[in-house]
Amino acid sequence: MNRIKAIAWNTFREAVRNKILYSLLFFAVLIIVSALAIGNLTLHEEVRTIRDIGLFGIDVFGVIIAIFVGVNLLYKELDLKTVYTILPKPLHRWEFVLGKWLGILLTLAVQMVVMGVVLAIVLAVEGSRFDVATAKAVWLLFVNVTLVTSIAVFFSAFSSPFLSGFFSLGCFVVGRSIPDIRALGDKLGPAAKAILKLFCDIAPKLYLFYPSGAIVGAEEASVHRQFVGLDYILTVSAYGVAYAVVVLVFAMLIFRKRDFV
Amino acid sequence: MSEIVLRADRLAKTFRLGFFRKRVEAVKEASFEVHRGEVFGYLGPNGSGKTTTLKMLMGLVFPTRGRAEVLGRKVPDREAKRRLGYLPESPYFYEYLTPEEFLDLAGALCDVPRAVRRKRADDLIARVGLDHARGRPLRKFSKGMLQRIGIAQALMGDPELVVLDEPMTGLDPIGRKEIRDLMIALKREGRTVVYSTHILPDVEMTCDRVAMIFAGTIRSVGPLSALLTARLLSTEIYLRRGVGQIPALPDGGQLRESADGMLVDLPEGADVDAYLRAALAASCSVISVTQRRESLEDLFMREAGSHKATS
Repeated sequence: MNRIKAIAWNTFREAVRNKILYSLLFFAVLIIVSALAIGNLTLHEEVRTIRDIGLFGIDVFGVIIAIFVGVNLLYKELDLKTVYTILPKPLHRWEFVLGKWLGILLTLAVQMVVMGVVLAIVLAVEGSRFDVATAKAVWLLFVNVTLVTSIAVFFSAFSSPFLSGFFSLGCFVVGRSIPDIRALGDKLGPAAKAILKLFCDIAPKLYLFYPSGAIVGAEEASVHRQFVGLDYILTVSAYGVAYAVVVLVFAMLIFRKRDFV
Repeated sequence: MSEIVLRADRLAKTFRLGFFRKRVEAVKEASFEVHRGEVFGYLGPNGSGKTTTLKMLMGLVFPTRGRAEVLGRKVPDREAKRRLGYLPESPYFYEYLTPEEFLDLAGALCDVPRAVRRKRADDLIARVGLDHARGRPLRKFSKGMLQRIGIAQALMGDPELVVLDEPMTGLDPIGRKEIRDLMIALKREGRTVVYSTHILPDVEMTCDRVAMIFAGTIRSVGPLSALLTARLLSTEIYLRRGVGQIPALPDGGQLRESADGMLVDLPEGADVDAYLRAALAASCSVISVTQRRESLEDLFMREAGSHKATS
Protein backbone atom coordinates (compact mmCIF):
# COMPACT_ATOMS: atom_id res chain seq x y z
CA MET A 1 0.00 0.00 0.00
CA ASN A 2 2.86 2.36 0.86
CA ARG A 3 4.38 1.83 -2.58
CA ILE A 4 1.08 2.68 -4.30
CA LYS A 5 0.76 5.72 -2.06
CA ALA A 6 4.30 6.82 -2.97
CA ILE A 7 3.57 6.56 -6.71
CA ALA A 8 0.19 8.33 -6.30
CA TRP A 9 1.73 11.15 -4.26
CA ASN A 10 4.54 11.58 -6.78
CA THR A 11 2.02 11.69 -9.64
CA PHE A 12 0.03 14.35 -7.80
CA ARG A 13 3.21 16.31 -7.13
CA GLU A 14 4.16 16.13 -10.82
CA ALA A 15 0.70 17.32 -11.88
CA VAL A 16 0.56 20.26 -9.48
CA ARG A 17 3.99 21.41 -10.66
CA ASN A 18 2.77 21.43 -14.27
CA LYS A 19 2.08 24.96 -15.52
CA ILE A 20 -0.26 23.81 -18.32
CA LEU A 21 -2.61 22.40 -15.73
CA TYR A 22 -2.80 25.77 -14.01
CA SER A 23 -3.64 27.39 -17.34
CA LEU A 24 -6.54 24.96 -17.82
CA LEU A 25 -7.74 25.56 -14.27
CA PHE A 26 -7.48 29.31 -14.83
CA PHE A 27 -9.75 29.10 -17.90
CA ALA A 28 -12.23 26.91 -15.99
CA VAL A 29 -12.36 29.46 -13.18
CA LEU A 30 -12.66 32.27 -15.76
CA ILE A 31 -15.72 30.61 -17.33
CA ILE A 32 -17.37 30.10 -13.94
CA VAL A 33 -16.70 33.71 -12.93
CA SER A 34 -17.86 34.99 -16.33
CA ALA A 35 -21.22 33.36 -15.56
CA LEU A 36 -21.70 36.23 -13.14
CA ALA A 37 -21.58 38.76 -15.97
CA ILE A 38 -23.65 36.61 -18.34
CA GLY A 39 -26.24 36.01 -15.60
CA ASN A 40 -26.65 39.75 -15.20
CA LEU A 41 -27.64 40.00 -18.87
CA THR A 42 -30.66 37.73 -18.29
CA LEU A 43 -34.00 38.72 -16.87
CA HIS A 44 -34.38 37.24 -13.35
CA GLU A 45 -32.49 34.08 -14.40
CA GLU A 46 -29.13 35.06 -12.96
CA VAL A 47 -28.75 32.15 -10.54
CA ARG A 48 -29.98 29.60 -13.08
CA THR A 49 -27.48 30.87 -15.66
CA ILE A 50 -24.61 30.89 -13.18
CA ARG A 51 -25.36 27.34 -12.06
CA ASP A 52 -25.69 26.07 -15.64
CA ILE A 53 -22.54 27.76 -16.91
CA GLY A 54 -20.66 26.81 -13.75
CA LEU A 55 -21.54 23.12 -14.06
CA PHE A 56 -20.77 23.26 -17.79
CA GLY A 57 -17.32 24.70 -17.00
CA ILE A 58 -16.64 22.04 -14.37
CA ASP A 59 -17.80 19.30 -16.76
CA VAL A 60 -15.86 20.39 -19.85
CA PHE A 61 -12.65 21.39 -18.08
CA GLY A 62 -12.86 18.35 -15.79
CA VAL A 63 -12.89 16.10 -18.86
CA ILE A 64 -10.18 18.09 -20.68
CA ILE A 65 -7.91 17.97 -17.62
CA ALA A 66 -8.69 14.24 -17.08
CA ILE A 67 -7.71 13.42 -20.66
CA PHE A 68 -4.67 15.71 -20.63
CA VAL A 69 -3.32 14.37 -17.35
CA GLY A 70 -4.38 10.75 -17.94
CA VAL A 71 -2.79 10.61 -21.37
CA ASN A 72 0.41 12.43 -20.48
CA LEU A 73 1.47 11.25 -17.06
CA LEU A 74 1.81 7.55 -17.91
CA TYR A 75 3.20 8.19 -21.38
CA LYS A 76 5.80 10.60 -20.01
CA GLU A 77 7.10 7.87 -17.71
CA LEU A 78 7.73 5.72 -20.77
CA ASP A 79 8.95 8.46 -23.08
CA LEU A 80 11.36 9.99 -20.57
CA LYS A 81 12.32 6.50 -19.33
CA THR A 82 11.78 7.38 -15.67
CA VAL A 83 9.97 4.05 -15.53
CA TYR A 84 13.36 2.28 -15.92
CA THR A 85 14.31 3.53 -12.48
CA ILE A 86 10.97 2.79 -10.85
CA LEU A 87 10.02 -0.69 -12.10
CA PRO A 88 13.21 -2.48 -10.94
CA LYS A 89 12.23 -1.39 -7.42
CA PRO A 90 10.27 -3.97 -5.42
CA LEU A 91 6.85 -3.10 -6.76
CA HIS A 92 4.51 -4.88 -9.14
CA ARG A 93 3.71 -3.27 -12.45
CA TRP A 94 0.00 -3.18 -11.57
CA GLU A 95 0.88 -1.23 -8.40
CA PHE A 96 2.60 1.34 -10.59
CA VAL A 97 -0.45 1.75 -12.88
CA LEU A 98 -2.82 1.89 -9.90
CA GLY A 99 -0.60 4.47 -8.18
CA LYS A 100 -0.53 6.64 -11.31
CA TRP A 101 -4.32 6.40 -11.63
CA LEU A 102 -4.92 7.30 -7.98
CA GLY A 103 -2.50 10.22 -8.28
CA ILE A 104 -4.36 11.52 -11.31
CA LEU A 105 -7.69 11.12 -9.47
CA LEU A 106 -6.32 13.03 -6.50
CA THR A 107 -5.24 15.82 -8.87
CA LEU A 108 -8.69 15.88 -10.47
CA ALA A 109 -10.43 15.83 -7.10
CA VAL A 110 -8.45 18.90 -6.00
CA GLN A 111 -9.21 20.64 -9.31
CA MET A 112 -12.92 19.92 -8.98
CA VAL A 113 -12.96 21.14 -5.39
CA VAL A 114 -11.31 24.39 -6.54
CA MET A 115 -13.86 24.79 -9.35
CA GLY A 116 -16.70 23.91 -6.94
CA VAL A 117 -15.51 26.49 -4.41
CA VAL A 118 -15.32 29.16 -7.13
CA LEU A 119 -18.87 28.26 -8.21
CA ALA A 120 -20.05 28.48 -4.58
CA ILE A 121 -18.47 31.93 -4.24
CA VAL A 122 -20.05 33.13 -7.49
CA LEU A 123 -23.45 31.81 -6.36
CA ALA A 124 -23.03 33.52 -3.00
CA VAL A 125 -22.24 36.81 -4.72
CA GLU A 126 -25.56 36.45 -6.53
CA GLY A 127 -27.33 35.74 -3.23
CA SER A 128 -27.80 32.01 -3.80
CA ARG A 129 -26.02 28.97 -2.37
CA PHE A 130 -24.23 25.81 -3.40
CA ASP A 131 -27.14 23.48 -2.58
CA VAL A 132 -27.41 19.69 -2.33
CA ALA A 133 -28.55 19.32 -5.95
CA THR A 134 -25.47 21.20 -7.18
CA ALA A 135 -23.24 19.09 -4.93
CA LYS A 136 -24.81 15.92 -6.37
CA ALA A 137 -24.24 17.21 -9.90
CA VAL A 138 -20.55 17.96 -9.15
CA TRP A 139 -20.13 14.49 -7.62
CA LEU A 140 -21.57 12.87 -10.78
CA LEU A 141 -19.16 14.93 -12.87
CA PHE A 142 -16.31 13.64 -10.70
CA VAL A 143 -17.36 10.02 -11.26
CA ASN A 144 -17.53 10.90 -14.96
CA VAL A 145 -13.90 12.13 -14.98
CA THR A 146 -12.85 9.05 -12.97
CA LEU A 147 -14.09 6.88 -15.81
CA VAL A 148 -12.61 9.13 -18.49
CA THR A 149 -9.25 9.02 -16.65
CA SER A 150 -9.28 5.21 -16.72
CA ILE A 151 -9.96 5.27 -20.45
CA ALA A 152 -7.12 7.76 -21.00
CA VAL A 153 -4.70 5.68 -18.89
CA PHE A 154 -5.77 2.54 -20.79
CA PHE A 155 -4.98 4.07 -24.19
CA SER A 156 -1.74 5.62 -22.98
CA ALA A 157 -0.53 2.16 -21.88
CA PHE A 158 0.03 1.28 -25.55
CA SER A 159 -0.25 4.35 -27.79
CA SER A 160 1.09 7.88 -28.24
CA PRO A 161 -0.41 10.86 -26.35
CA PHE A 162 -2.02 12.20 -29.53
CA LEU A 163 -3.78 8.92 -30.33
CA SER A 164 -4.62 8.29 -26.68
CA GLY A 165 -6.12 11.77 -26.41
CA PHE A 166 -8.03 11.31 -29.65
CA PHE A 167 -9.43 7.91 -28.63
CA SER A 168 -10.29 9.10 -25.11
CA LEU A 169 -12.11 12.14 -26.46
CA GLY A 170 -13.91 9.87 -28.95
CA CYS A 171 -15.03 7.60 -26.10
CA PHE A 172 -16.25 10.63 -24.16
CA VAL A 173 -18.31 11.95 -27.10
CA VAL A 174 -19.74 8.49 -27.83
CA GLY A 175 -20.49 7.89 -24.13
CA ARG A 176 -22.43 11.12 -23.89
CA SER A 177 -24.30 10.47 -27.16
CA ILE A 178 -25.53 6.93 -26.51
CA PRO A 179 -29.25 7.90 -26.34
CA ASP A 180 -28.86 9.63 -29.73
CA ILE A 181 -26.98 6.65 -31.18
CA ARG A 182 -29.74 4.33 -29.94
CA ALA A 183 -32.36 6.58 -31.50
CA LEU A 184 -30.40 6.49 -34.75
CA GLY A 185 -30.33 2.68 -34.57
CA ASP A 186 -34.12 2.57 -34.33
CA LYS A 187 -34.30 4.22 -37.72
CA LEU A 188 -31.93 1.70 -39.36
CA GLY A 189 -32.33 -1.91 -40.46
CA PRO A 190 -32.23 -4.84 -37.98
CA ALA A 191 -28.56 -5.69 -38.63
CA ALA A 192 -27.33 -2.11 -38.18
CA LYS A 193 -29.62 -1.74 -35.18
CA ALA A 194 -28.13 -4.87 -33.56
CA ILE A 195 -24.58 -3.65 -34.17
CA LEU A 196 -25.35 -0.22 -32.74
CA LYS A 197 -27.08 -1.83 -29.74
CA LEU A 198 -24.00 -3.97 -29.03
CA PHE A 199 -21.80 -0.90 -29.44
CA CYS A 200 -23.98 1.10 -27.03
CA ASP A 201 -23.97 -1.77 -24.52
CA ILE A 202 -20.16 -1.90 -24.47
CA ALA A 203 -19.44 1.86 -24.61
CA PRO A 204 -19.22 3.76 -21.31
CA LYS A 205 -22.62 5.26 -20.53
CA LEU A 206 -21.28 8.69 -19.68
CA TYR A 207 -24.64 10.33 -20.33
CA LEU A 208 -25.77 8.88 -16.99
CA PHE A 209 -23.54 11.39 -15.22
CA TYR A 210 -25.36 14.30 -16.81
CA PRO A 211 -28.91 13.27 -15.99
CA SER A 212 -32.06 14.63 -17.61
CA GLY A 213 -35.72 13.75 -17.13
CA ALA A 214 -35.63 11.46 -20.17
CA ILE A 215 -32.67 9.51 -18.76
CA VAL A 216 -34.03 8.93 -15.28
CA GLY A 217 -37.60 8.30 -16.49
CA ALA A 218 -39.02 11.28 -14.65
CA GLU A 219 -40.71 14.41 -15.83
CA GLU A 220 -37.74 16.45 -14.85
CA ALA A 221 -34.20 16.12 -13.50
CA SER A 222 -32.77 19.56 -13.05
CA VAL A 223 -30.41 21.06 -10.51
CA HIS A 224 -32.71 24.07 -10.43
CA ARG A 225 -35.78 22.21 -9.19
CA GLN A 226 -36.11 18.41 -8.91
CA PHE A 227 -32.75 16.64 -9.22
CA VAL A 228 -31.98 12.90 -9.00
CA GLY A 229 -32.25 11.06 -5.68
CA LEU A 230 -29.52 9.43 -3.63
CA ASP A 231 -30.36 5.94 -4.99
CA TYR A 232 -29.65 7.15 -8.54
CA ILE A 233 -26.39 8.75 -7.41
CA LEU A 234 -25.27 5.53 -5.71
CA THR A 235 -26.25 3.25 -8.61
CA VAL A 236 -24.63 5.43 -11.25
CA SER A 237 -21.51 5.93 -9.09
CA ALA A 238 -21.20 2.16 -8.64
CA TYR A 239 -21.52 1.71 -12.40
CA GLY A 240 -18.91 4.40 -13.09
CA VAL A 241 -16.40 3.05 -10.59
CA ALA A 242 -16.92 -0.56 -11.75
CA TYR A 243 -16.43 0.42 -15.40
CA ALA A 244 -13.34 2.47 -14.49
CA VAL A 245 -11.85 -0.46 -12.57
CA VAL A 246 -12.45 -2.91 -15.44
CA VAL A 247 -10.78 -0.52 -17.92
CA LEU A 248 -7.91 -0.03 -15.47
CA VAL A 249 -7.45 -3.80 -15.14
CA PHE A 250 -7.10 -4.00 -18.94
CA ALA A 251 -4.50 -1.20 -18.77
CA MET A 252 -2.63 -3.19 -16.08
CA LEU A 253 -2.69 -6.36 -18.19
CA ILE A 254 -1.23 -4.51 -21.17
CA PHE A 255 1.40 -2.88 -18.96
CA ARG A 256 2.29 -6.23 -17.39
CA LYS A 257 3.36 -7.70 -20.70
CA ARG A 258 5.21 -4.68 -22.03
CA ASP A 259 8.91 -4.63 -22.85
CA PHE A 260 10.57 -1.39 -21.76
CA VAL A 261 13.16 -1.06 -24.50
CA MET B 1 32.70 -21.75 -4.53
CA SER B 2 30.98 -18.51 -3.49
CA GLU B 3 27.25 -17.97 -3.82
CA ILE B 4 25.88 -16.98 -7.21
CA VAL B 5 23.84 -13.79 -6.93
CA LEU B 6 23.05 -13.23 -10.58
CA ARG B 7 22.73 -15.75 -13.38
CA ALA B 8 22.00 -15.33 -17.07
CA ASP B 9 21.31 -18.72 -18.59
CA ARG B 10 21.26 -18.71 -22.40
CA LEU B 11 19.32 -15.44 -22.43
CA ALA B 12 18.14 -14.26 -25.82
CA LYS B 13 15.97 -11.38 -26.98
CA THR B 14 14.52 -10.77 -30.41
CA PHE B 15 12.62 -7.56 -31.03
CA ARG B 16 10.11 -7.09 -33.81
CA LEU B 17 10.42 -3.58 -35.14
CA GLY B 18 8.54 -1.37 -37.56
CA PHE B 19 5.45 -1.87 -39.65
CA PHE B 20 6.75 -5.12 -41.20
CA ARG B 21 7.74 -6.50 -37.76
CA LYS B 22 11.36 -6.94 -38.82
CA ARG B 23 13.25 -9.30 -36.51
CA VAL B 24 16.20 -7.78 -34.67
CA GLU B 25 18.23 -10.14 -32.49
CA ALA B 26 19.50 -7.82 -29.76
CA VAL B 27 20.89 -10.69 -27.67
CA LYS B 28 21.54 -14.09 -29.28
CA GLU B 29 22.90 -15.95 -26.29
CA ALA B 30 24.14 -14.58 -22.99
CA SER B 31 25.24 -16.93 -20.23
CA PHE B 32 27.26 -15.84 -17.21
CA GLU B 33 27.20 -15.92 -13.44
CA VAL B 34 28.13 -13.30 -10.90
CA HIS B 35 29.45 -14.38 -7.51
CA ARG B 36 28.72 -12.69 -4.21
CA GLY B 37 31.13 -9.92 -3.25
CA GLU B 38 32.80 -9.40 -6.62
CA VAL B 39 32.90 -6.49 -9.03
CA PHE B 40 31.79 -7.87 -12.37
CA GLY B 41 32.29 -5.99 -15.64
CA TYR B 42 30.00 -6.57 -18.60
CA LEU B 43 31.90 -5.35 -21.63
CA GLY B 44 31.01 -4.85 -25.22
CA PRO B 45 31.00 -2.24 -27.95
CA ASN B 46 28.00 0.04 -28.47
CA GLY B 47 24.95 -1.88 -29.65
CA SER B 48 26.35 -5.26 -28.63
CA GLY B 49 23.40 -6.11 -26.32
CA LYS B 50 24.75 -5.09 -22.91
CA THR B 51 21.79 -2.92 -21.91
CA THR B 52 19.22 -5.41 -23.23
CA THR B 53 20.84 -8.19 -21.18
CA LEU B 54 20.75 -6.05 -18.04
CA LYS B 55 17.14 -5.07 -18.73
CA MET B 56 16.22 -8.75 -18.97
CA LEU B 57 17.91 -9.33 -15.62
CA MET B 58 16.03 -6.35 -14.13
CA GLY B 59 12.66 -7.53 -15.46
CA LEU B 60 12.21 -4.56 -17.79
CA VAL B 61 12.39 -6.70 -20.92
CA PHE B 62 11.07 -10.25 -21.20
CA PRO B 63 13.56 -12.72 -22.70
CA THR B 64 12.59 -14.55 -25.88
CA ARG B 65 14.53 -17.58 -24.62
CA GLY B 66 16.59 -18.50 -21.59
CA ARG B 67 16.33 -17.84 -17.90
CA ALA B 68 17.35 -14.89 -15.74
CA GLU B 69 17.91 -15.30 -11.99
CA VAL B 70 18.68 -12.62 -9.42
CA LEU B 71 19.61 -13.61 -5.86
CA GLY B 72 18.47 -17.17 -6.50
CA ARG B 73 15.01 -16.20 -7.77
CA LYS B 74 13.60 -16.19 -11.27
CA VAL B 75 13.16 -12.67 -12.65
CA PRO B 76 10.93 -10.78 -11.98
CA ASP B 77 10.66 -11.40 -8.25
CA ARG B 78 9.72 -8.72 -5.76
CA GLU B 79 11.75 -10.17 -2.89
CA ALA B 80 14.86 -10.25 -5.10
CA LYS B 81 14.18 -6.69 -6.26
CA ARG B 82 14.06 -5.58 -2.62
CA ARG B 83 17.73 -6.64 -2.26
CA LEU B 84 18.84 -5.09 -5.52
CA GLY B 85 19.74 -1.59 -6.69
CA TYR B 86 19.78 -0.56 -10.35
CA LEU B 87 21.01 2.45 -12.28
CA PRO B 88 19.70 2.56 -15.86
CA GLU B 89 21.77 3.78 -18.80
CA SER B 90 21.66 7.58 -19.34
CA PRO B 91 19.20 7.96 -16.48
CA TYR B 92 16.41 10.48 -16.58
CA PHE B 93 14.64 11.22 -13.34
CA TYR B 94 11.64 13.26 -12.25
CA GLU B 95 13.02 16.69 -13.03
CA TYR B 96 10.65 18.55 -10.72
CA LEU B 97 11.93 16.71 -7.62
CA THR B 98 14.81 17.75 -5.39
CA PRO B 99 17.46 15.10 -4.52
CA GLU B 100 15.87 14.67 -1.07
CA GLU B 101 12.39 14.15 -2.54
CA PHE B 102 13.67 11.75 -5.20
CA LEU B 103 15.60 9.62 -2.73
CA ASP B 104 12.60 9.63 -0.40
CA LEU B 105 10.47 8.27 -3.26
CA ALA B 106 13.10 5.61 -4.06
CA GLY B 107 13.23 4.63 -0.39
CA ALA B 108 9.44 4.47 -0.08
CA LEU B 109 9.30 2.14 -3.11
CA CYS B 110 11.88 -0.09 -1.38
CA ASP B 111 9.71 -0.19 1.77
CA VAL B 112 12.29 1.70 3.81
CA PRO B 113 10.62 3.25 6.92
CA ARG B 114 10.24 7.02 6.74
CA ALA B 115 12.70 7.85 9.55
CA VAL B 116 15.38 5.54 8.11
CA ARG B 117 15.01 6.84 4.58
CA ARG B 118 15.40 10.45 5.67
CA LYS B 119 18.72 9.63 7.36
CA ARG B 120 19.84 7.35 4.53
CA ALA B 121 19.00 9.94 1.87
CA ASP B 122 21.00 12.50 3.81
CA ASP B 123 24.02 10.16 4.04
CA LEU B 124 23.84 9.14 0.39
CA ILE B 125 23.61 12.73 -0.86
CA ALA B 126 26.82 13.43 1.04
CA ARG B 127 28.43 10.17 -0.11
CA VAL B 128 27.91 10.88 -3.84
CA GLY B 129 29.15 14.45 -3.40
CA LEU B 130 25.88 16.32 -3.93
CA ASP B 131 25.79 18.25 -0.67
CA HIS B 132 25.93 21.51 -2.61
CA ALA B 133 22.86 20.56 -4.65
CA ARG B 134 20.42 19.93 -1.81
CA GLY B 135 17.02 21.49 -2.48
CA ARG B 136 17.79 22.04 -6.17
CA PRO B 137 15.36 20.48 -8.68
CA LEU B 138 16.90 17.65 -10.74
CA ARG B 139 16.24 19.53 -14.00
CA LYS B 140 19.09 21.85 -13.00
CA PHE B 141 21.53 18.94 -12.58
CA SER B 142 24.42 18.29 -14.98
CA LYS B 143 24.83 14.84 -16.52
CA GLY B 144 27.47 13.89 -13.98
CA MET B 145 25.24 15.02 -11.10
CA LEU B 146 22.34 12.98 -12.48
CA GLN B 147 24.62 9.95 -12.65
CA ARG B 148 25.53 10.46 -8.98
CA ILE B 149 21.95 10.87 -7.79
CA GLY B 150 21.14 7.79 -9.90
CA ILE B 151 23.70 5.79 -7.97
CA ALA B 152 22.34 7.17 -4.71
CA GLN B 153 18.79 6.05 -5.58
CA ALA B 154 20.15 2.59 -6.42
CA LEU B 155 21.59 2.39 -2.90
CA MET B 156 18.46 3.65 -1.07
CA GLY B 157 17.22 0.12 -0.40
CA ASP B 158 20.62 -0.86 1.09
CA PRO B 159 21.02 -3.54 -1.62
CA GLU B 160 23.27 -6.61 -1.62
CA LEU B 161 23.57 -6.43 -5.39
CA VAL B 162 24.13 -3.18 -7.30
CA VAL B 163 23.69 -3.20 -11.09
CA LEU B 164 24.93 -0.13 -12.94
CA ASP B 165 24.37 0.29 -16.67
CA GLU B 166 27.16 2.42 -18.17
CA PRO B 167 27.82 4.36 -14.95
CA MET B 168 30.86 6.17 -16.40
CA THR B 169 29.11 7.56 -19.47
CA GLY B 170 29.25 11.33 -19.65
CA LEU B 171 31.58 11.70 -16.68
CA ASP B 172 34.84 13.64 -16.71
CA PRO B 173 38.03 11.91 -15.47
CA ILE B 174 37.45 13.11 -11.90
CA GLY B 175 33.87 11.88 -11.95
CA ARG B 176 34.98 8.52 -13.37
CA LYS B 177 37.54 8.11 -10.62
CA GLU B 178 34.94 8.92 -7.98
CA ILE B 179 32.57 6.29 -9.38
CA ARG B 180 35.42 3.75 -9.51
CA ASP B 181 36.28 4.51 -5.90
CA LEU B 182 32.63 4.18 -4.96
CA MET B 183 32.40 0.76 -6.62
CA ILE B 184 35.47 -0.44 -4.76
CA ALA B 185 34.00 0.93 -1.51
CA LEU B 186 30.73 -0.92 -2.20
CA LYS B 187 32.72 -4.13 -2.67
CA ARG B 188 34.50 -3.53 0.64
CA GLU B 189 31.09 -3.21 2.29
CA GLY B 190 30.34 -6.73 1.07
CA ARG B 191 28.06 -5.76 -1.81
CA THR B 192 28.25 -7.27 -5.27
CA VAL B 193 28.64 -4.78 -8.11
CA VAL B 194 27.80 -5.50 -11.74
CA TYR B 195 28.36 -2.83 -14.32
CA SER B 196 28.35 -2.54 -18.06
CA THR B 197 30.83 -0.38 -19.90
CA HIS B 198 33.03 -0.05 -22.94
CA ILE B 199 35.65 2.01 -21.08
CA LEU B 200 38.34 -0.64 -20.67
CA PRO B 201 40.86 1.07 -18.35
CA ASP B 202 38.10 1.40 -15.72
CA VAL B 203 37.45 -2.33 -15.92
CA GLU B 204 41.11 -3.21 -15.44
CA MET B 205 41.18 -1.05 -12.33
CA THR B 206 37.99 -2.31 -10.69
CA CYS B 207 36.77 -5.70 -11.92
CA ASP B 208 37.43 -9.14 -10.49
CA ARG B 209 35.75 -10.89 -13.42
CA VAL B 210 34.34 -9.85 -16.76
CA ALA B 211 32.09 -11.05 -19.55
CA MET B 212 32.47 -9.78 -23.09
CA ILE B 213 29.59 -9.58 -25.51
CA PHE B 214 29.86 -8.95 -29.25
CA ALA B 215 26.82 -8.62 -31.51
CA GLY B 216 24.57 -10.29 -28.95
CA THR B 217 26.82 -13.26 -28.20
CA ILE B 218 29.05 -13.69 -25.15
CA ARG B 219 32.63 -14.45 -26.20
CA SER B 220 34.55 -14.68 -22.91
CA VAL B 221 33.70 -14.90 -19.24
CA GLY B 222 36.13 -15.18 -16.36
CA PRO B 223 38.69 -13.50 -14.13
CA LEU B 224 40.79 -10.94 -15.97
CA SER B 225 43.98 -12.76 -14.95
CA ALA B 226 42.74 -15.95 -16.63
CA LEU B 227 41.48 -14.24 -19.78
CA LEU B 228 44.60 -12.20 -20.45
CA THR B 229 47.38 -14.41 -21.81
CA ALA B 230 50.72 -14.15 -20.05
CA ARG B 231 52.64 -14.22 -23.31
CA LEU B 232 54.94 -11.37 -24.19
CA LEU B 233 53.57 -9.28 -27.03
CA SER B 234 56.53 -6.96 -27.56
CA THR B 235 59.41 -5.16 -25.81
CA GLU B 236 59.56 -1.38 -25.84
CA ILE B 237 63.01 0.19 -25.53
CA TYR B 238 63.32 3.91 -24.98
CA LEU B 239 66.65 5.23 -26.27
CA ARG B 240 68.46 8.53 -26.51
CA ARG B 241 70.55 8.89 -29.66
CA GLY B 242 74.36 8.63 -29.38
CA VAL B 243 77.12 9.46 -31.84
CA GLY B 244 76.87 6.21 -33.82
CA GLN B 245 74.18 4.75 -36.09
CA ILE B 246 71.03 3.35 -34.54
CA PRO B 247 71.11 -0.46 -34.83
CA ALA B 248 68.98 -1.94 -37.61
CA LEU B 249 65.55 -3.14 -36.47
CA PRO B 250 64.69 -6.83 -36.62
CA ASP B 251 61.71 -7.97 -38.75
CA GLY B 252 58.45 -6.53 -37.38
CA GLY B 253 60.28 -3.93 -35.29
CA GLN B 254 59.07 -0.31 -35.23
CA LEU B 255 60.76 2.94 -34.43
CA ARG B 256 59.09 6.20 -33.39
CA GLU B 257 61.13 9.35 -32.84
CA SER B 258 60.22 12.13 -30.44
CA ALA B 259 61.93 15.31 -29.28
CA ASP B 260 63.44 13.48 -26.29
CA GLY B 261 64.48 10.25 -27.93
CA MET B 262 63.27 7.17 -29.75
CA LEU B 263 60.86 4.41 -28.90
CA VAL B 264 61.85 1.06 -30.37
CA ASP B 265 59.20 -1.63 -30.38
CA LEU B 266 60.69 -5.12 -30.77
CA PRO B 267 58.28 -7.94 -31.65
CA GLU B 268 57.85 -11.17 -29.68
CA GLY B 269 60.88 -13.45 -30.25
CA ALA B 270 63.32 -10.69 -31.13
CA ASP B 271 66.77 -10.86 -29.52
CA VAL B 272 66.42 -7.96 -27.09
CA ASP B 273 69.87 -8.48 -25.51
CA ALA B 274 71.60 -8.29 -28.90
CA TYR B 275 69.68 -5.13 -29.81
CA LEU B 276 70.56 -3.49 -26.48
CA ARG B 277 74.27 -4.38 -26.94
CA ALA B 278 74.22 -2.87 -30.42
CA ALA B 279 72.51 0.26 -29.13
CA LEU B 280 75.06 0.70 -26.35
CA ALA B 281 77.89 0.11 -28.83
CA ALA B 282 76.44 2.98 -30.89
CA SER B 283 76.70 5.21 -27.78
CA CYS B 284 72.90 5.33 -27.35
CA SER B 285 71.59 5.82 -23.81
CA VAL B 286 68.99 3.26 -22.76
CA ILE B 287 66.31 5.12 -20.79
CA SER B 288 63.91 2.23 -20.22
CA VAL B 289 63.03 -1.31 -21.28
CA THR B 290 59.41 -2.40 -20.91
CA GLN B 291 57.88 -5.79 -21.64
CA ARG B 292 54.37 -5.39 -23.05
CA ARG B 293 51.98 -8.22 -22.20
CA GLU B 294 48.35 -8.56 -23.32
CA SER B 295 46.09 -5.83 -21.94
CA LEU B 296 42.32 -5.87 -21.68
CA GLU B 297 42.22 -3.71 -24.78
CA ASP B 298 44.27 -6.30 -26.68
CA LEU B 299 41.94 -9.05 -25.48
CA PHE B 300 38.91 -6.98 -26.42
CA MET B 301 40.27 -6.34 -29.92
CA ARG B 302 41.29 -10.01 -30.27
CA GLU B 303 37.79 -11.16 -29.33
CA ALA B 304 36.19 -8.57 -31.59
CA GLY B 305 38.42 -9.72 -34.44
CA SER B 306 37.70 -13.39 -33.88
CA HIS B 307 33.97 -12.64 -33.67
CA LYS B 308 34.12 -10.84 -37.02
CA ALA B 309 36.00 -13.75 -38.54
CA THR B 310 33.45 -16.33 -37.36
CA SER B 311 30.29 -14.35 -38.19
